[in-house]
Amino acid sequence: MPSGQKLVVKIADMKIAQHGEELITYALGSCIGICLQDKISKLSALIHIMLPLNMEAGRKNTMKYADTGIRETLKQMEARGSRRGNIVAKVAGGAKMFETASGSSLGNIGKRNIDSVHMILKAEQIRLLAEDVGGTTARTITFDPATGMVTVKSYGKPDHTI
Amino acid sequence: MGIKNYDDLNSLEIDTLREVGSIGTGNAATALSGLLNRRVRITLPEVRIMGYNEAIDWIGGPENVTAGVLVRISGDIGGIMLSVLPLEFVNMVLECMLDNQVEEFEHLDELQRSALVEVGNIMISTFINALSGLSGVTMDLTVPSLTVDMQGAILAVPMAEYGGQTDYLMTIGGNFTCDDYELPCRLLLSPEIRGLNYLLHKLGVSDA
Repeated sequence: MPSGQKLVVKIADMKIAQHGEELITYALGSCIGICLQDKISKLSALIHIMLPLNMEAGRKNTMKYADTGIRETLKQMEARGSRRGNIVAKVAGGAKMFETASGSSLGNIGKRNIDSVHMILKAEQIRLLAEDVGGTTARTITFDPATGMVTVKSYGKPDHTI
Repeated sequence: MGIKNYDDLNSLEIDTLREVGSIGTGNAATALSGLLNRRVRITLPEVRIMGYNEAIDWIGGPENVTAGVLVRISGDIGGIMLSVLPLEFVNMVLECMLDNQVEEFEHLDELQRSALVEVGNIMISTFINALSGLSGVTMDLTVPSLTVDMQGAILAVPMAEYGGQTDYLMTIGGNFTCDDYELPCRLLLSPEIRGLNYLLHKLGVSDA
Protein backbone atom coordinates (compact mmCIF):
# COMPACT_ATOMS: atom_id res chain seq x y z
CA MET A 1 0.00 0.00 0.00
CA PRO A 2 1.25 3.49 -0.78
CA SER A 3 3.12 5.30 1.96
CA GLY A 4 2.92 9.05 2.36
CA GLN A 5 5.88 9.46 0.04
CA LYS A 6 4.25 7.98 -3.02
CA LEU A 7 2.32 9.92 -5.60
CA VAL A 8 -0.43 7.78 -7.07
CA VAL A 9 -1.06 8.14 -10.79
CA LYS A 10 -4.60 7.04 -11.65
CA ILE A 11 -6.04 5.84 -14.95
CA ALA A 12 -5.76 8.44 -17.73
CA ASP A 13 -3.64 10.55 -15.42
CA MET A 14 -0.13 11.99 -15.17
CA LYS A 15 1.90 13.29 -12.27
CA ILE A 16 5.24 15.04 -12.07
CA ALA A 17 7.31 14.34 -8.93
CA GLN A 18 8.14 17.73 -7.46
CA HIS A 19 10.38 16.77 -4.57
CA GLY A 20 11.74 13.38 -5.54
CA GLU A 21 8.66 11.45 -4.35
CA GLU A 22 8.19 8.00 -5.81
CA LEU A 23 5.52 7.69 -8.48
CA ILE A 24 3.25 4.67 -8.54
CA THR A 25 0.48 3.43 -10.81
CA TYR A 26 -1.59 0.31 -10.12
CA ALA A 27 -2.82 -2.59 -12.21
CA LEU A 28 -1.71 -1.75 -15.72
CA GLY A 29 -3.41 -4.32 -17.92
CA SER A 30 -3.59 -3.31 -21.55
CA CYS A 31 -2.85 0.22 -20.32
CA ILE A 32 0.74 1.48 -20.36
CA GLY A 33 2.74 3.36 -17.75
CA ILE A 34 5.27 5.71 -19.30
CA CYS A 35 8.07 6.98 -17.05
CA LEU A 36 9.84 10.06 -18.34
CA GLN A 37 12.92 11.50 -16.68
CA ASP A 38 15.26 14.39 -17.31
CA LYS A 39 18.52 12.61 -16.56
CA ILE A 40 20.28 15.87 -15.63
CA SER A 41 17.74 17.56 -13.36
CA LYS A 42 15.99 14.26 -12.36
CA LEU A 43 12.61 15.86 -13.05
CA SER A 44 10.34 12.82 -13.40
CA ALA A 45 6.86 12.13 -14.68
CA LEU A 46 4.64 9.06 -14.89
CA ILE A 47 1.72 8.78 -17.32
CA HIS A 48 -0.99 6.06 -17.25
CA ILE A 49 -2.47 5.87 -20.75
CA MET A 50 -5.31 3.64 -21.86
CA LEU A 51 -5.52 3.96 -25.64
CA PRO A 52 -3.11 4.51 -28.54
CA LEU A 53 -4.39 7.56 -30.37
CA ASN A 54 -6.54 10.53 -29.47
CA MET A 55 -9.29 10.88 -32.04
CA GLU A 56 -11.75 12.76 -29.86
CA ALA A 57 -13.16 15.93 -31.33
CA GLY A 58 -12.43 18.15 -28.35
CA ARG A 59 -9.18 16.39 -27.41
CA LYS A 60 -9.98 16.75 -23.75
CA ASN A 61 -8.56 14.16 -21.38
CA THR A 62 -5.13 14.19 -23.01
CA MET A 63 -3.65 11.63 -20.59
CA LYS A 64 -6.03 8.89 -21.72
CA TYR A 65 -4.08 8.54 -24.97
CA ALA A 66 -0.44 7.72 -25.75
CA ASP A 67 0.02 10.47 -28.33
CA THR A 68 -1.48 13.45 -26.55
CA GLY A 69 -0.36 12.15 -23.14
CA ILE A 70 3.32 11.92 -24.02
CA ARG A 71 3.36 15.20 -25.94
CA GLU A 72 1.56 17.15 -23.22
CA THR A 73 3.87 15.73 -20.54
CA LEU A 74 6.98 16.64 -22.54
CA LYS A 75 5.59 20.14 -22.91
CA GLN A 76 5.09 20.42 -19.15
CA MET A 77 8.58 19.08 -18.46
CA GLU A 78 10.07 21.55 -20.89
CA ALA A 79 8.12 24.32 -19.21
CA ARG A 80 9.96 23.32 -16.02
CA GLY A 81 13.30 23.71 -17.70
CA SER A 82 13.99 20.24 -19.10
CA ARG A 83 15.65 19.93 -22.47
CA ARG A 84 14.26 17.42 -24.91
CA GLY A 85 17.64 15.79 -25.48
CA ASN A 86 18.01 14.99 -21.77
CA ILE A 87 14.69 13.21 -21.37
CA VAL A 88 14.69 9.41 -21.37
CA ALA A 89 11.83 6.90 -21.04
CA LYS A 90 10.97 3.54 -19.52
CA VAL A 91 7.65 1.87 -20.22
CA ALA A 92 5.65 -1.05 -18.86
CA GLY A 93 2.24 -2.55 -19.60
CA GLY A 94 0.36 -3.43 -22.77
CA ALA A 95 -0.66 -6.93 -21.66
CA LYS A 96 -3.42 -9.00 -23.17
CA MET A 97 -5.71 -9.77 -20.24
CA PHE A 98 -8.06 -12.24 -21.91
CA GLU A 99 -7.46 -14.79 -24.64
CA THR A 100 -10.41 -14.22 -26.90
CA ALA A 101 -10.99 -16.03 -30.13
CA SER A 102 -11.97 -12.96 -32.10
CA GLY A 103 -9.16 -11.73 -34.30
CA SER A 104 -10.70 -8.28 -34.64
CA SER A 105 -8.60 -5.15 -34.53
CA LEU A 106 -10.13 -4.38 -31.15
CA GLY A 107 -8.88 -7.71 -29.85
CA ASN A 108 -5.50 -6.53 -28.71
CA ILE A 109 -5.50 -2.99 -27.38
CA GLY A 110 -2.31 -3.73 -25.43
CA LYS A 111 -0.34 -4.41 -28.59
CA ARG A 112 -1.68 -1.28 -30.26
CA ASN A 113 -0.75 0.75 -27.20
CA ILE A 114 2.81 -0.57 -27.28
CA ASP A 115 3.18 0.23 -30.99
CA SER A 116 1.80 3.71 -30.48
CA VAL A 117 4.07 4.49 -27.50
CA HIS A 118 7.11 3.33 -29.50
CA MET A 119 6.10 5.45 -32.45
CA ILE A 120 5.44 8.61 -30.42
CA LEU A 121 8.68 8.30 -28.42
CA LYS A 122 10.61 7.88 -31.65
CA ALA A 123 8.86 10.82 -33.29
CA GLU A 124 9.56 12.99 -30.25
CA GLN A 125 13.18 11.75 -30.18
CA ILE A 126 12.97 10.36 -26.67
CA ARG A 127 15.33 7.48 -25.96
CA LEU A 128 13.65 4.33 -24.62
CA LEU A 129 16.03 2.94 -21.99
CA ALA A 130 14.09 -0.13 -20.92
CA GLU A 131 10.68 -1.71 -21.17
CA ASP A 132 8.59 -4.56 -19.83
CA VAL A 133 5.64 -4.85 -22.19
CA GLY A 134 3.19 -7.36 -23.62
CA GLY A 135 2.52 -10.74 -22.05
CA THR A 136 -0.70 -11.64 -20.29
CA THR A 137 -0.34 -10.31 -16.73
CA ALA A 138 -1.15 -6.99 -15.11
CA ARG A 139 1.62 -4.81 -13.68
CA THR A 140 1.89 -2.29 -10.87
CA ILE A 141 4.89 -0.02 -11.35
CA THR A 142 6.82 2.21 -8.97
CA PHE A 143 9.17 4.82 -10.42
CA ASP A 144 11.93 6.15 -8.18
CA PRO A 145 13.20 9.52 -9.47
CA ALA A 146 16.37 9.29 -7.37
CA THR A 147 17.65 6.22 -9.21
CA GLY A 148 15.54 6.26 -12.37
CA MET A 149 14.65 2.64 -11.65
CA VAL A 150 11.18 1.24 -12.21
CA THR A 151 9.97 -1.68 -10.08
CA VAL A 152 7.44 -3.94 -11.75
CA LYS A 153 5.11 -6.04 -9.61
CA SER A 154 2.89 -8.70 -11.19
CA TYR A 155 0.59 -11.30 -9.72
CA GLY A 156 2.28 -14.66 -9.25
CA LYS A 157 5.74 -13.44 -10.27
CA PRO A 158 8.68 -12.03 -8.32
CA ASP A 159 9.13 -8.25 -8.46
CA HIS A 160 11.80 -7.02 -10.82
CA THR A 161 13.29 -3.69 -11.79
CA ILE A 162 13.96 -2.20 -15.20
CA MET B 1 -31.10 10.13 -32.33
CA GLY B 2 -30.53 8.58 -28.92
CA ILE B 3 -27.90 9.36 -26.36
CA LYS B 4 -24.31 10.35 -27.11
CA ASN B 5 -22.88 9.53 -23.73
CA TYR B 6 -23.91 7.32 -20.84
CA ASP B 7 -24.65 10.25 -18.57
CA ASP B 8 -27.30 11.46 -21.04
CA LEU B 9 -29.60 8.63 -19.95
CA ASN B 10 -32.81 9.88 -18.34
CA SER B 11 -34.39 8.31 -15.29
CA LEU B 12 -36.96 6.30 -17.27
CA GLU B 13 -34.16 4.79 -19.34
CA ILE B 14 -32.07 4.01 -16.26
CA ASP B 15 -35.09 2.40 -14.58
CA THR B 16 -35.73 0.29 -17.66
CA LEU B 17 -32.10 -0.86 -17.76
CA ARG B 18 -32.23 -1.67 -14.06
CA GLU B 19 -35.28 -3.81 -14.71
CA VAL B 20 -33.46 -5.54 -17.57
CA GLY B 21 -30.53 -6.12 -15.24
CA SER B 22 -32.85 -7.51 -12.62
CA ILE B 23 -34.39 -10.02 -15.02
CA GLY B 24 -30.96 -10.94 -16.42
CA THR B 25 -29.31 -11.50 -13.05
CA GLY B 26 -32.46 -13.24 -11.77
CA ASN B 27 -32.20 -15.77 -14.58
CA ALA B 28 -28.49 -16.16 -13.93
CA ALA B 29 -29.22 -16.82 -10.24
CA THR B 30 -31.73 -19.52 -11.13
CA ALA B 31 -29.20 -21.19 -13.44
CA LEU B 32 -26.51 -20.99 -10.79
CA SER B 33 -28.89 -22.37 -8.23
CA GLY B 34 -29.54 -25.44 -10.38
CA LEU B 35 -25.88 -25.95 -11.07
CA LEU B 36 -24.73 -25.67 -7.46
CA ASN B 37 -27.82 -27.14 -5.87
CA ARG B 38 -27.99 -24.21 -3.45
CA ARG B 39 -30.51 -21.40 -3.00
CA VAL B 40 -29.08 -18.49 -4.96
CA ARG B 41 -30.82 -15.11 -5.02
CA ILE B 42 -29.95 -11.65 -6.27
CA THR B 43 -29.56 -8.55 -4.18
CA LEU B 44 -30.51 -5.14 -5.57
CA PRO B 45 -29.70 -4.92 -9.26
CA GLU B 46 -27.71 -1.87 -10.21
CA VAL B 47 -27.10 0.36 -13.18
CA ARG B 48 -23.95 2.36 -12.72
CA ILE B 49 -22.27 5.01 -14.77
CA MET B 50 -18.86 5.66 -13.30
CA GLY B 51 -15.67 7.48 -14.10
CA TYR B 52 -12.71 5.12 -14.50
CA ASN B 53 -11.17 5.68 -11.11
CA GLU B 54 -14.56 5.69 -9.41
CA ALA B 55 -15.18 2.26 -10.96
CA ILE B 56 -11.90 0.93 -9.58
CA ASP B 57 -12.83 2.14 -6.08
CA TRP B 58 -16.28 0.58 -6.47
CA ILE B 59 -14.90 -2.88 -7.35
CA GLY B 60 -12.65 -2.69 -4.26
CA GLY B 61 -9.29 -1.23 -5.31
CA PRO B 62 -6.99 -1.94 -8.24
CA GLU B 63 -4.62 -4.59 -6.93
CA ASN B 64 -6.80 -7.26 -5.32
CA VAL B 65 -6.54 -10.45 -7.30
CA THR B 66 -9.73 -11.97 -8.60
CA ALA B 67 -10.94 -14.36 -11.29
CA GLY B 68 -12.81 -12.90 -14.23
CA VAL B 69 -14.72 -14.59 -17.02
CA LEU B 70 -15.17 -12.41 -20.08
CA VAL B 71 -17.44 -12.76 -23.08
CA ARG B 72 -17.66 -10.37 -25.99
CA ILE B 73 -21.06 -9.59 -27.42
CA SER B 74 -21.71 -8.77 -31.06
CA GLY B 75 -24.75 -8.68 -33.33
CA ASP B 76 -27.42 -6.00 -32.83
CA ILE B 77 -25.63 -4.84 -29.69
CA GLY B 78 -21.91 -4.75 -29.05
CA GLY B 79 -20.64 -5.08 -25.53
CA ILE B 80 -18.56 -6.90 -23.00
CA MET B 81 -19.92 -9.04 -20.24
CA LEU B 82 -17.80 -9.85 -17.22
CA SER B 83 -18.35 -12.21 -14.38
CA VAL B 84 -16.08 -11.22 -11.51
CA LEU B 85 -15.45 -14.13 -9.15
CA PRO B 86 -13.53 -13.41 -5.92
CA LEU B 87 -11.83 -16.23 -4.03
CA GLU B 88 -14.69 -16.77 -1.58
CA PHE B 89 -17.11 -17.31 -4.45
CA VAL B 90 -14.63 -19.51 -6.31
CA ASN B 91 -14.31 -21.77 -3.29
CA MET B 92 -18.06 -22.04 -2.89
CA VAL B 93 -18.32 -23.14 -6.53
CA LEU B 94 -15.45 -25.62 -6.24
CA GLU B 95 -16.91 -27.05 -3.07
CA CYS B 96 -20.29 -27.64 -4.73
CA MET B 97 -19.01 -28.90 -8.07
CA LEU B 98 -15.77 -30.70 -7.29
CA ASP B 99 -15.85 -31.12 -3.54
CA ASN B 100 -12.56 -29.29 -3.05
CA GLN B 101 -11.20 -25.77 -2.42
CA VAL B 102 -8.05 -23.75 -2.96
CA GLU B 103 -6.20 -21.50 -0.53
CA GLU B 104 -4.99 -19.18 -3.26
CA PHE B 105 -5.82 -18.57 -6.90
CA GLU B 106 -2.33 -19.76 -7.84
CA HIS B 107 -3.25 -23.29 -6.84
CA LEU B 108 -6.12 -23.64 -9.32
CA ASP B 109 -5.67 -26.68 -11.53
CA GLU B 110 -7.02 -27.23 -15.05
CA LEU B 111 -10.24 -28.91 -13.95
CA GLN B 112 -10.98 -26.18 -11.40
CA ARG B 113 -10.30 -23.47 -13.97
CA SER B 114 -12.63 -25.07 -16.46
CA ALA B 115 -15.34 -25.35 -13.78
CA LEU B 116 -15.01 -21.60 -13.20
CA VAL B 117 -15.21 -20.83 -16.93
CA GLU B 118 -18.37 -22.92 -17.08
CA VAL B 119 -19.98 -21.16 -14.13
CA GLY B 120 -19.11 -17.73 -15.52
CA ASN B 121 -20.35 -18.75 -18.94
CA ILE B 122 -23.67 -20.09 -17.67
CA MET B 123 -24.34 -16.90 -15.71
CA ILE B 124 -23.44 -14.70 -18.67
CA SER B 125 -25.37 -16.75 -21.24
CA THR B 126 -28.55 -16.91 -19.18
CA PHE B 127 -28.36 -13.15 -18.59
CA ILE B 128 -27.95 -12.50 -22.31
CA ASN B 129 -30.67 -15.00 -23.28
CA ALA B 130 -33.09 -13.27 -20.93
CA LEU B 131 -32.17 -9.86 -22.32
CA SER B 132 -32.49 -11.11 -25.86
CA GLY B 133 -35.88 -12.73 -25.26
CA LEU B 134 -37.17 -9.62 -23.54
CA SER B 135 -36.12 -7.11 -26.16
CA GLY B 136 -36.05 -9.12 -29.38
CA VAL B 137 -32.44 -8.06 -29.90
CA THR B 138 -30.06 -10.61 -31.41
CA MET B 139 -26.75 -11.04 -29.66
CA ASP B 140 -23.87 -13.37 -30.46
CA LEU B 141 -21.40 -14.41 -27.79
CA THR B 142 -17.75 -15.38 -28.09
CA VAL B 143 -16.26 -18.36 -26.31
CA PRO B 144 -15.70 -17.38 -22.65
CA SER B 145 -12.20 -16.61 -21.45
CA LEU B 146 -10.90 -16.82 -17.88
CA THR B 147 -8.15 -14.78 -16.32
CA VAL B 148 -6.87 -14.51 -12.76
CA ASP B 149 -5.20 -11.19 -12.09
CA MET B 150 -5.48 -7.75 -10.49
CA GLN B 151 -9.11 -6.66 -10.68
CA GLY B 152 -8.21 -3.13 -11.80
CA ALA B 153 -6.70 -4.53 -14.98
CA ILE B 154 -9.72 -6.78 -15.55
CA LEU B 155 -12.14 -3.87 -15.21
CA ALA B 156 -9.94 -1.83 -17.55
CA VAL B 157 -10.84 -4.18 -20.40
CA PRO B 158 -14.37 -2.79 -20.95
CA MET B 159 -13.06 0.71 -20.18
CA ALA B 160 -10.43 0.50 -22.91
CA GLU B 161 -12.85 -1.11 -25.35
CA TYR B 162 -15.11 1.96 -25.36
CA GLY B 163 -12.56 4.48 -24.13
CA GLY B 164 -12.52 6.19 -27.52
CA GLN B 165 -16.24 7.02 -27.17
CA THR B 166 -16.62 7.88 -23.52
CA ASP B 167 -14.90 8.72 -20.25
CA TYR B 168 -17.32 6.52 -18.33
CA LEU B 169 -17.80 2.86 -17.67
CA MET B 170 -21.39 1.73 -17.68
CA THR B 171 -22.37 -1.47 -15.94
CA ILE B 172 -25.70 -3.24 -15.63
CA GLY B 173 -25.60 -6.04 -13.11
CA GLY B 174 -25.97 -7.28 -9.60
CA ASN B 175 -24.67 -9.27 -6.67
CA PHE B 176 -25.78 -12.64 -5.42
CA THR B 177 -26.62 -14.27 -2.12
CA CYS B 178 -26.29 -17.97 -1.55
CA ASP B 179 -28.12 -19.74 1.27
CA ASP B 180 -28.82 -16.26 2.70
CA TYR B 181 -25.30 -15.00 2.96
CA GLU B 182 -23.86 -12.42 0.62
CA LEU B 183 -21.74 -13.79 -2.17
CA PRO B 184 -19.11 -11.45 -3.44
CA CYS B 185 -19.75 -12.10 -7.11
CA ARG B 186 -20.62 -9.56 -9.75
CA LEU B 187 -22.14 -9.94 -13.15
CA LEU B 188 -21.52 -6.89 -15.29
CA LEU B 189 -22.71 -5.94 -18.75
CA SER B 190 -20.96 -3.01 -20.40
CA PRO B 191 -22.77 -2.09 -23.61
CA GLU B 192 -21.39 0.19 -26.28
CA ILE B 193 -23.37 3.38 -26.79
CA ARG B 194 -24.80 2.64 -30.23
CA GLY B 195 -26.04 -0.75 -29.06
CA LEU B 196 -27.46 0.76 -25.90
CA ASN B 197 -29.53 3.17 -27.99
CA TYR B 198 -30.80 0.29 -30.08
CA LEU B 199 -31.70 -1.70 -26.98
CA LEU B 200 -33.61 1.23 -25.48
CA HIS B 201 -35.40 1.68 -28.79
CA LYS B 202 -36.40 -1.98 -28.89
CA LEU B 203 -37.60 -1.79 -25.29
CA GLY B 204 -39.77 1.16 -26.33
CA VAL B 205 -38.35 3.79 -24.01
CA SER B 206 -36.22 5.89 -26.33
CA ASP B 207 -37.78 8.58 -28.51
CA ALA B 208 -35.68 7.51 -31.51
